[in-house]
Amino acid sequence: MKLRMILSLTIVCLLSAFLLSWVYKTTEPKIEKDKAGKLKIHLMETAFPDAFEYEVSTKDTTFWIAYDSLKKTIGKAKFEEIIPDTLWSVLDTLGEQIGIVFKVYPKGYGGPIETLVGLSMDTIITGIRPATPAEGLKETPGLGVKILEPWFKRQFIGKKEKEVLLKKDGGTLDAITASTKSSRAVANGAREGIERYKKYLRYQAIE
Amino acid sequence: MNSAFLIFLSAFLVNNIVLIRFLGLCPWLGVSKRLDSAAGMSMAVLFVMLLASWVTWTVYKFILVPFDIVYLRTAVFILVIASLVQFVEMFMRKQAPALYSTLGIYLPLITTNCAILGTTFLVIDNKYTFLSTTVFAVGTALGFALALILISSIRERLDLADIPDALKGAPIAFITASLMSLAFLGFVGLLGLSI
Amino acid sequence: MFKHFTEGIIKNNPVLVLMLGLCPTLAVSTTALDALGMGVAVIFVLVLSNITISALRKVIPEPIRIPVFIIIISTFVTIMDFTLHALSSELYGALGIFVPLVVVNCIILGRAEAFASKHGIFTSFLDGLGMGIGFTIIIFLMGAIREILGSGKIFGNIILGTTFAESPVIYMILPPGGFLVIAFLMGGLNWFQQRSK
Repeated sequence: MKLRMILSLTIVCLLSAFLLSWVYKTTEPKIEKDKAGKLKIHLMETAFPDAFEYEVSTKDTTFWIAYDSLKKTIGKAKFEEIIPDTLWSVLDTLGEQIGIVFKVYPKGYGGPIETLVGLSMDTIITGIRPATPAEGLKETPGLGVKILEPWFKRQFIGKKEKEVLLKKDGGTLDAITASTKSSRAVANGAREGIERYKKYLRYQAIE
Repeated sequence: MNSAFLIFLSAFLVNNIVLIRFLGLCPWLGVSKRLDSAAGMSMAVLFVMLLASWVTWTVYKFILVPFDIVYLRTAVFILVIASLVQFVEMFMRKQAPALYSTLGIYLPLITTNCAILGTTFLVIDNKYTFLSTTVFAVGTALGFALALILISSIRERLDLADIPDALKGAPIAFITASLMSLAFLGFVGLLGLSI
Repeated sequence: MFKHFTEGIIKNNPVLVLMLGLCPTLAVSTTALDALGMGVAVIFVLVLSNITISALRKVIPEPIRIPVFIIIISTFVTIMDFTLHALSSELYGALGIFVPLVVVNCIILGRAEAFASKHGIFTSFLDGLGMGIGFTIIIFLMGAIREILGSGKIFGNIILGTTFAESPVIYMILPPGGFLVIAFLMGGLNWFQQRSK
């Protein structure tokens, strides 16, 4: 009886481990690819916020394309990582730099708000993208999470460094009702990021 | 030290395991009818939660990660907890019969208490050090105890209250929980802590 | 035979009557879509674990049945975990820690112990499906109520007008709202049963 118990427990454990390692091996590449693909889309969203849909590729040589709702090309670009997971240079089809995208982590009400900010060559914001709750945004549901609403993100577009401040702080941005702290965090995070990373505009990759 | 205090406060009040995170609701509802059983359950949870966090932290760091089998996490953790509870039960029955008579009946319930497994996952997800893990586990268990003891004292009084028939029992306990949870939301922002 | 299927849906509803699986019901019901995802995940694990345990019920020695059940359940939970992550990382992120915690969802171990270990494969399958659907209905109802009242939307689409969607009853989406909605669902079922007697 003892032997049978040990035997059946061992068999079940082994079977389970084999099954799991097989499932893991099959799903893992898909999960990893998904993560990498998501980041590419997010980068495109900050560089071309008006697009309706994006086409990104796993190959380094192809350009990623932003389409409008009629499937007309708005822009093509390539991203070159300058600082891993923090700063990217945006290149056009001729290989000229047209801007940068950087990632900042300003402290909001509920923790750091991971935000991607796109910047054109004349240090004007092309678009911002805070992480969603599924990606780790910890702001209060229904309040701080409203930083994800299009009108809030849109008002950053076309702003210069000095204008990226809440109206309450002497700038041009509207804060979200009852969520000033989250709104201010995004604004200040974007502004400080511009200050820190604008020197990378006209960055030339060393051949 | 400062950060240890913040971890404790966050686990104890701001992210209260029952009222904000919704973990461990079954025992919270099941043993909250009387204050003394609530106290016994709280002790048992504190004891097992601390042991379980220590053991799973060690297993994760020194077995799962080095051998690259992190994907077995769920299965390994639940097995570790189940055997740990079994072991504690046997040990207590032999070595500390007095303690066993107070805590023993709550131990089997703890294996399926998602508060324990949830805490061990949170410890890994938050990448805590051993010290932080200890503080976090104690804070979480005390937060569970606080919520359990509060609701059981309220429910002892609710027995005497005149409640519509349809709401007797679990429904009124949940309405009370809703108010308690709302009160606990007031802790958000305390020392800059958040949900 | 089909009473095993219908039993879990209303009469022995796992959430409202047996009071099992309360944690995910409350935690993952801030939107209807997340709730539905959780429900499907539980059905998947519950049905497969019920079938497997029922098939193995004569082979597993009695004293170690619980550990064996736990291994079987956690295997299916991990499979579901990876599959979900591969299919939709968006939904996976929203369900968060409650995906691996399906393993301690008392409905699953409860049905394994109380039903699947004593009944045939097909009846266990029906029982698992019924219980899973019963769970899904309730968690979906919770998610729908909380999303409609708490953000004025359903599946992300605005209903009840834009004015309401701009300043909805945020309370409903926050943790206290979860407790309140389940209290009234339980109360409502009690009231209905008492009246029909």
